[in-house]
Amino acid sequence: MANNLELLQSFSHQPLMSTPATQDLPPPGGYSEVKYRRYLPKRGPSGLVIFAGITAVCAFGFYRVAQGNLERRELKRENLWSRIHLIPLLTAESDRDAFRRQQAALNREAEIMKDVKDWKVGESVYNNTKYYTRPSVVVVPEDARQ
Amino acid sequence: MTATRDPVFTSTKFVDPTPAPKSVPPVEEIGLTSAPLKSASFFIGQYCKDYNADFMLCKNENNDPEHCLKEGRKVTRCALDLIKKLRENCDAEFEKHWKCLDVKNQDYYQCRKEERQFNSCVFEKLGLQKNIPGSPEGQPQINEKRNPIMKPHQK
Repeated sequence: MANNLELLQSFSHQPLMSTPATQDLPPPGGYSEVKYRRYLPKRGPSGLVIFAGITAVCAFGFYRVAQGNLERRELKRENLWSRIHLIPLLTAESDRDAFRRQQAALNREAEIMKDVKDWKVGESVYNNTKYYTRPSVVVVPEDARQ
Repeated sequence: MTATRDPVFTSTKFVDPTPAPKSVPPVEEIGLTSAPLKSASFFIGQYCKDYNADFMLCKNENNDPEHCLKEGRKVTRCALDLIKKLRENCDAEFEKHWKCLDVKNQDYYQCRKEERQFNSCVFEKLGLQKNIPGSPEGQPQINEKRNPIMKPHQK
């Protein structure tokens, strides 16, 4: 073997192993830890909490809507009764006016039909005595026409 | 309301000028617009309850306008009497309330402040109270409710 090495050296122009051999090693103290986990900062309340919160808000809203509906019903009742209390008063007033106009119409009819024999003023067109609302026929005087 | 129709023309306005026959005793008409009537309506309903009920029973008997003229006059006189009393005792509050109603679309809920003052004045002076029939029991009436949900939208 020694002869072979010498023979090899004699052929080559450069020395074969001029520097001592070195191995690739970790730095002193070792490598730093590898961060293979994803780093995400905290992102607020969990889904369950958000879901519960939305449910609570909606429940409160619907409760208020229901209360408001009940209140609107009472407002309607109040409005209705205020009108009911006024009905007799307004009816009495309009009845007086209706009676006045009706009498005037009957007088006009009597005046117009005075020459017709056996004419009954204000006779009902129905064969009974029940009250019925007469058709509103208005004779507008000449000077009131426009 | 009555089944009568006002003879209203689209082209001209005509009011029959013929006065009422002499056989009907004259009565002063109430002569109020809708806002004062609405403001006083619950008190009219309470103060004139007997006359109003009498009149409505009479109308139920016969719908002829001639049939209930007497009862109708009583109703109007009673309402006039009440309005006169309101004017004597709670003039300022009454005026404030109906003017508010006039401006606020005649909604009671928009004029609660004025209404409370008016109601308390009428209760003190005349002893009349606003009662809404059919209101749920065990809770304040809608006009006395504190912090209601339905509030005026504009101050």
